[in-house]
Amino acid sequence: MEIRALILVNSATSQTHFPAAPLALLDVAGRSALDRLCERLQLQEVSRVTAIIEQGDPELARPAAWLPPGLEHQTVPADRFWRTSENAFNDLGQGSTDVVLLIRLGAYLELDVEKLVQCHLEGQRRVTRAMRERSPLDVFCVYGSRRNDAASIFRSRFGSCRGDWTPFPHEGYWNALGDSLDLRQFAIDMLTLKTETRPSGKEIRPGVWVAPQAAIEKGARLVAPAFVGSSARIRAGAVVTRCTTIEHHAEVDCGTVVENSTLLPYSSVGAGLDLAHSVAGMGQIANLRRGATVEVSDASLFGLVSANGGRKFWSSASQFPRRLWQAISQPPDSTLPPDREEAERTAVSVLTEPTADDKAAGEFAPSLAVATRRYGNQ
Amino acid sequence: MATNSRPVVVRRMPQRLNLRAAREFLHELQPLLGVDRPQLVFDLSQVQQLDAAGVEMLLYCMSEAHKRDGDLKLAALSQEAAVMLELTRTERLFEIYETSTDAVRSFSGFLPNAMRQQLLHEKRSIPPIAA
Repeated sequence: MEIRALILVNSATSQTHFPAAPLALLDVAGRSALDRLCERLQLQEVSRVTAIIEQGDPELARPAAWLPPGLEHQTVPADRFWRTSENAFNDLGQGSTDVVLLIRLGAYLELDVEKLVQCHLEGQRRVTRAMRERSPLDVFCVYGSRRNDAASIFRSRFGSCRGDWTPFPHEGYWNALGDSLDLRQFAIDMLTLKTETRPSGKEIRPGVWVAPQAAIEKGARLVAPAFVGSSARIRAGAVVTRCTTIEHHAEVDCGTVVENSTLLPYSSVGAGLDLAHSVAGMGQIANLRRGATVEVSDASLFGLVSANGGRKFWSSASQFPRRLWQAISQPPDSTLPPDREEAERTAVSVLTEPTADDKAAGEFAPSLAVATRRYGNQ
Repeated sequence: MATNSRPVVVRRMPQRLNLRAAREFLHELQPLLGVDRPQLVFDLSQVQQLDAAGVEMLLYCMSEAHKRDGDLKLAALSQEAAVMLELTRTERLFEIYETSTDAVRSFSGFLPNAMRQQLLHEKRSIPPIAA
C-alpha cells in the first residue's frame, strides 16, 4: 500500500508574537515540529511527504531557512495557500497512491500512521479524521482518488468535509503549538521525555543534551534537564537550568542565568542577566509568567547573532593579502581631505568632551554605567 | 504610628526610557534629587521601552536619594518595565507598589512596608464579633 502525506503549515492557528515564522517552523531542542513530523512519517513507511507553507510578511519571513533539508515543499502567499494545497493533493493522489494523509501544523502530534490507515480501511468511509478527547484534530486520511472529498476539506479550511467521516482516536502525544506557552511546553515535554521524539544532539550526562559544535566555556553550568544547540555558545559563569533550550547559534554571555526558557536561534543574551520563564528571540522576549511580550532594542541586553559572521570573517581574511600588497605597493597618503579631517576631529571631541547635558547631569554617565553593568557581578 | 510632613514627589516616567530620554529625565530631576532627604515615587505605568541606560538611571536616582537619607520607590510598573527589571535583576533592589498612591502612603509611616503588610493582614484576619 502506498501512503503519501501532505503537510500544511500556516499561521492561522498561531497566536505567536514571533512574526518571522509559524511556530511549527521554529526549532525546539534542535529541530522544528515540521522536521520531527516529517521524520516520523518517513519512518512509518510514508513514501512521499510534501509541505505547503504559507508565506508571512515577505520582509520578515524566510521559510527556506527554517525548513528541514531535502523536504519537498512550496512556499505560497496566504491568498493562494488553500488553492495550492488542493493542487498538491491532486498531484499526490495520482498513480498508485492508495491513501493521502492531510495534516495541518498547527498542532504537533505523534501520529501512529499504521493504526490510522487501518482504522480508515476498516471504517469503510471515504474520510477518516483523528480525534483527541472528542475534539477533532487537523489530521485527515483520504483515499487518493477522492479528490472531491479532499477539495471539500480544503475549501472549508479543515473545518469539515462532505459526508460522514470515521473518527480515529489519537492516543499519542499532542501539543497545540498555538502560542509561546505551547512552544515552551513542547520543549519541557521533550526534555522530560514525555514525547517519543528526543532532543537532537548527544546526551552528555543524564538530562543534558548538547549538539555538535556547541561551545560551553569553562565555568559555565548546565543543570539537567537542558539542551544546547549546534554552534551555540555558553560563556563562563553562565547557568542554564530547568528545561531550558538554547537553540543553534544562540549565545549566553558571562554570568547570565537562563531558567525555564527557550532561546531561539541566533539570539544572544547579555552578561549578568536573569532570563526566566520566557521564550526569547528575534529581538523580543515573551515572558510567560506575566503574559507580556517586550521588544528589546538594547543589544547589550538582548540581541541577534549575525547569521553570516563566519563568512564575513573568511571573506575579509581572504582579502587580507591583497590589501597588504596594496599597502606596500602604494605610498601612504599622509594628508587627509579637509572634510574628513574635520569629521574626525568632531568625532573625537564628541567622545571626549562632555556635552551640556552631561554637565547638567553631574556625575551620571550612562555609557560608563552600562559598561559596568556588563560585568555585573564583579 | 509615626508620620512625617516632608513632601513626596511623584513623577511619571516617559514612554521610552532610552539614553536620551534618561538624560532628559535626569536633568529635570536634578533639583529634586539635591534636596535633603528626598522622597520620590516614579510611576512607570506609561513605560513601553526600557533599556540598560534607563535601568542605570533608576539605580543612579536611588543611590542619590539614599546618599541624602531619602528613598526612591517605584509604582504601577507596566509589563514591559517589569520584564526588563526582572531581566536585569534590579527588581529586588527597589520597593515596588501597585499604585502611586500606595507608594506615597508607604512614606508616611515609620514601619517598613513588610511589617505594615503583616499588620494589615493580621487586622483583616480577626473575625468580626458576633452581635
